[in-house]
Amino acid sequence: MSNTILSVKGLKKSFGENSVLKDINFSVNSGDVTCIIGSSGSGKSTMLRCINLLEEPTGGEIIYNGRNILETKNIPAYRAKVEMVFQSFNLFENMTVLKNCMIGLRKVLKLDKENAKKTAMFYLEKVGMAPYINAKPRQLSGGQKQRVAIARALAMKPDVILFDEPTSALDPQMVGEVLDVIKNIAKEGLTMIIVTHEMAFARDVSNHVVFMHDGVICEEGTPEEIFTNPQRPETKAFLTRFMKEN
Amino acid sequence: MTGFFYEVINILVKYRGYFLQGVGYTMLIALVGTTIGLVIGLITGIIRTIPKSKNPVIRVILKIINIIISVYVEIFRGTPMMVQAMVIFWGYAFMNDGRTLPLIPAGIFIVSINTGAYMAEIVRGGIISIDNGQFEGAYSIGMNHWQAMINVVLPQTMRNILPAISNEFVINIKDTSVLNVIGVTELYFFTAKISKMTWSIFETYVVACVIYFILTFSITRILKFIEHKIDGPSSYIIHHSSTMPDESFTAKEGK
Repeated sequence: MSNTILSVKGLKKSFGENSVLKDINFSVNSGDVTCIIGSSGSGKSTMLRCINLLEEPTGGEIIYNGRNILETKNIPAYRAKVEMVFQSFNLFENMTVLKNCMIGLRKVLKLDKENAKKTAMFYLEKVGMAPYINAKPRQLSGGQKQRVAIARALAMKPDVILFDEPTSALDPQMVGEVLDVIKNIAKEGLTMIIVTHEMAFARDVSNHVVFMHDGVICEEGTPEEIFTNPQRPETKAFLTRFMKEN
Repeated sequence: MTGFFYEVINILVKYRGYFLQGVGYTMLIALVGTTIGLVIGLITGIIRTIPKSKNPVIRVILKIINIIISVYVEIFRGTPMMVQAMVIFWGYAFMNDGRTLPLIPAGIFIVSINTGAYMAEIVRGGIISIDNGQFEGAYSIGMNHWQAMINVVLPQTMRNILPAISNEFVINIKDTSVLNVIGVTELYFFTAKISKMTWSIFETYVVACVIYFILTFSITRILKFIEHKIDGPSSYIIHHSSTMPDESFTAKEGK
């Protein structure tokens, strides 16, 4: 039926004595939109960074298309297929919006200039940033930067996009514009793993929710299961506290 | 007072050939020396910021190269260039039966390796000051360390260290004067020579002083201009905004 594109088995990560991830197991099917929720410090971002190999896991396996990528030599080729969108955008400050979206196409996928530009423009159009192609990142608002970052990831035509708290660094009024863009691409069937604190968005956009607590996956299921009928006391406590705060 | 100005003008006109030749060599040595020094700085800076390799052999090799670079930097930063010039010039003669290095290339060599030691630290500082997110952004779209360095980090580093490079250039224009100890025919060498011919020592050195200042001041202005060029325009054109489909307008950066 559904095919697993990415799975994490027994993933562990510790920084010195501090064990941040303790035996994480979960898998993502092609076309899934998985939201990872949980309180700060529960290891959500660390797990996502491990999947992109920006952090080196201490143990476990990350299986992508049937191969353990912790054993692969060609990490850049894997990263070009499993893109990441950051909380702090990480747009290239020395390039215009257009060049930000073209550089990966030119240098990694080795597209010629014309094709790279066409592809970049297509995705910039999609996130509503086509009018700003000549702007430098420092001239944009946070929400605009994040939309460019999403276009940059999309332009690489990845299999999976990892979102690491994509709206946490944004002003409240800019959160919506970014979430709308993510919702739109979710509709197109792209596999996504999203670490987020936006519960309404998580319930809306995902078909798979993972609740992390204290370095382990505490509970996972469909959005209905997690948000309307949580089983574990930790999940209940987290959601109750969340509802109170908002 | 008129006598003073008369003598200054007189010296300048009479010995303009010497002064021009001195300016030529001073600028040649400073320009080439700063450029080669920058190249040395870039190479050492890139090597010293290579992330730790998992391969133990590469790790050991890198460690050894890093130690060599550190020794080089410490020695050339820690001794005066005038002494370095004497040691290198006469050291070469000592080891080659009294045959000496040709003067201008020797001068360029000394200024280059001396500047390289400072540039090594300038470039390394420039690279590590770039936010790690720039590397991560580059890695996340599939670039390797080298591609990230060349396309993303080094261009930003160059922009940030340009004021320090300009500093080094100005220092080199002035400090080539110490090369007169090995007889390099730069501006100071000719000035000293002229002062011995005229015995108007004060007037001659005033001329040299003004020439040095004009040189350094022009260079700082030129590099300032380049800085602004790199920064690009502070405004950008918004093309066919979706709210105003037929118009494009210029957005200015808020100050």
